[in-house]
Amino acid sequence: MAGDHLTNDEFFTQLANLFELNQKKGHGSIHLTQKRLAYGNVQPPTDAQTLEDPLWDTYHPEEPVPVLIRATNNKSTKRAGTDRENVDKVKISTVVQPDQIDAFYARYAEACKAGMSGLKKRDRKKGKKDKKKKKGTSAEAKV
Amino acid sequence: MPFLPTSTEWYEQSSLLLKARPSTTRITSKYTVLSPSPSKIRKRTKYAERKSLKSTADTSSTPATAEAQSSTTVDASTPTATFTLKTYDPVSGICLQYETNKAAEVGRLVGSLGRLGKHMAAVKTVTTDLSEPSGRPGVDTPGVEKLEGDVVMADVKMTDAKTVEQGKAGNGGGGGGKKKKKGKK
Repeated sequence: MAGDHLTNDEFFTQLANLFELNQKKGHGSIHLTQKRLAYGNVQPPTDAQTLEDPLWDTYHPEEPVPVLIRATNNKSTKRAGTDRENVDKVKISTVVQPDQIDAFYARYAEACKAGMSGLKKRDRKKGKKDKKKKKGTSAEAKV
Repeated sequence: MPFLPTSTEWYEQSSLLLKARPSTTRITSKYTVLSPSPSKIRKRTKYAERKSLKSTADTSSTPATAEAQSSTTVDASTPTATFTLKTYDPVSGICLQYETNKAAEVGRLVGSLGRLGKHMAAVKTVTTDLSEPSGRPGVDTPGVEKLEGDVVMADVKMTDAKTVEQGKAGNGGGGGGKKKKKGKK
């Protein structure tokens, strides 16, 4: 798996595909994960260590470390009686270097905004929002 | 697994968790589109029916309600999409979640993912400011929810630090998730 990381550009095109696939299917999930890429640098704590200091993990490296970003969809299998089709699981990942984080996340935000089209739009909610606000405040007042 | 009521709280708590365990904490965001189950559709139509009945009670027009009903059945079967953010540290078992269904929030949330990503990457400039917001008294209370939820899971490994924090945190908490759901419906 180690060699499978895509470049950032490739990752974005693949991510867009993933969102599009999800949109076409009409339902389903996309999981996005981010974590520090510190493979090999950090040893898990020994029992003695955790006893001594429960917050053993204050490993603050001298140099900034890259961040690993993963994106997957859900595999689905065909089922009779439903509109479910066979969809393979797609896993993509990329490594973001610390100096590119800002640029990456700016693009990432754009990609997510474009891809997550199923969420409620702002203007449609406006009328309801006010009502809800009133409701919320009255509920709070009661409490 | 508490759902925090606001995204800022989620961000603050997550940044604290990241500060404590920068190398094991991961942030998963999930975008889900679900076609509603038959029972959900039934519930929605029922709700819409009752609502339209209420609104057209004085006009006393049966065709109007039927019309409204048919229009809402289209609405009722539209899929629900949610965007869930989850910060999880497998070592301590702490899990912080925030869920939204508003498209307007995505940009901001991914922005905060970026800021948290900087903490992860240990980029120097940002590490200083994350301790600030937690000092405010208003922000202290959500910490309670976080801790109460976690302590159950974290019990085994976390001993001193957790209990101290828990004692400090005191009462309240637990209501966060419920409140959120109420607001959403």
